[in-house]
Amino acid sequence: MEAKKQNKITLTIILGMACLVLVTVMFMQFKIVNQTDINELEVMREDELRTELASWKAKYTEADAQYQERQQKLEEYNQNEESQEQTEQLVQNELKQVDLILGKTDVEGEGIVIKLQEVSTAEAGITADNLNMIVNTLKEAGAEAISINEERIINMTDIVSVNEGTITRVNQQRILKPYTIKAIGNQNYLEGAILANGGEVDNLEKLGHQISVEKYNKVEIPKYNKEISSKYIK
Amino acid sequence: MNNNKTTSIVLGIMCMALTIGICIQIRTVNSYSTIKTGQNYDQNNLRAEVLKYKEKYENKIEQIEKIDKDLEKKIEQATNDNENLEDAQNQIKEGNKLIGLTEVTGEGVIITLTDSKLDATTALDPSSLVVHDMDVYYIVNELKNAGAEAISVNGQRIITTSAIECGGNIITINGEKIGSPFEIKAIGLPENLANLNRTGGYLEAMRKSSVGAELKKSNDITIPKYTGIINYKYAKSIE
Repeated sequence: MEAKKQNKITLTIILGMACLVLVTVMFMQFKIVNQTDINELEVMREDELRTELASWKAKYTEADAQYQERQQKLEEYNQNEESQEQTEQLVQNELKQVDLILGKTDVEGEGIVIKLQEVSTAEAGITADNLNMIVNTLKEAGAEAISINEERIINMTDIVSVNEGTITRVNQQRILKPYTIKAIGNQNYLEGAILANGGEVDNLEKLGHQISVEKYNKVEIPKYNKEISSKYIK
Repeated sequence: MNNNKTTSIVLGIMCMALTIGICIQIRTVNSYSTIKTGQNYDQNNLRAEVLKYKEKYENKIEQIEKIDKDLEKKIEQATNDNENLEDAQNQIKEGNKLIGLTEVTGEGVIITLTDSKLDATTALDPSSLVVHDMDVYYIVNELKNAGAEAISVNGQRIITTSAIECGGNIITINGEKIGSPFEIKAIGLPENLANLNRTGGYLEAMRKSSVGAELKKSNDITIPKYTGIINYKYAKSIE
């Protein structure tokens, strides 16, 4: 009887230990698997990795520059705490920056001007979809300000066709042909993106429309001409 | 005695199963590691570099956020006793909401787009079964048309310079890769935004090609702020 009991205890202990070892090994394995799975980076090829690296490097440099700028600003505030006039200046500068990004100011800078002349014998007309594609391509290429027929494209700008595609509206405002799209940004990037093979301009040309793209060292784009306000966001 | 035997057999089987499991795991990991070390040194280096810069960037963004808070405090202090500045300060706050530099909440709609569950080999045009970058673009454009004041796609705030780019199986917004399912949030008058669900509308067309496109109204939507940096290098205001 006594021997049987002893036997049982030894057995339990051995089993318990075996289980523990197995579980530990399993956990170790899970950990290794987790470590090796550093998101999708593992499956990337060399050229992909290079582009990825370049883009993160650029982002970092930009972030660093911004950080320096803000630090400087903060220092200015600290230094000018006493002087009412100077703080006022700093706040006004901040406001100017916000207005620039909102689209509340006329802007100028290097960029491109695209002229779309619809040809009536072409296979299809130029629609809001085409304009949307062009605007999206310009944004991809880093455009900082865009206008179509002097209608400034701001964050909540919509470009739509109404009345079965016969009327095009930008900012709920009807625009008429021919279309002139202006964009400010690196002129070479913008031109390259817009003239790309198989891009929207290429497609429109193949349909038979007349399109010109010109680079300029100075493009002027007007401000958004209505009130920019919000009712629903808090 | 009989009982004992059964337990032993069950335990034996369990142990065997566990051991087999471990063996399989070890083999998988091993084959994986050989692939990894088999790749040339350059690639591993590149990978490490990418991770390093990603981390550095994220750290910088954190630092910027911190310094921004300090700046905000300073400006508030400075403007406390100046009416002129208070007005400017309010305009900055309001402006930051609109350009996407602050998190916003409000009522609106949430649209969810999912790739079709149909077998791609049975479709005439397999491409019609997935959500494309342009689908997302047009829905965002329609939301703007319906008066949306803030929009995000899978947590990426749409700002004035946001492009929606195609990248094969995924799409890229604000330089970040996102994939299906797509969740588009918009703040604005829910009744107007829900108009996207109309008969003959874009969402219905998507559903017809068996892509999932659901719209639901919500009183409590939170849209995150833009996580990158908005800095114009080329466009300057004309004074």
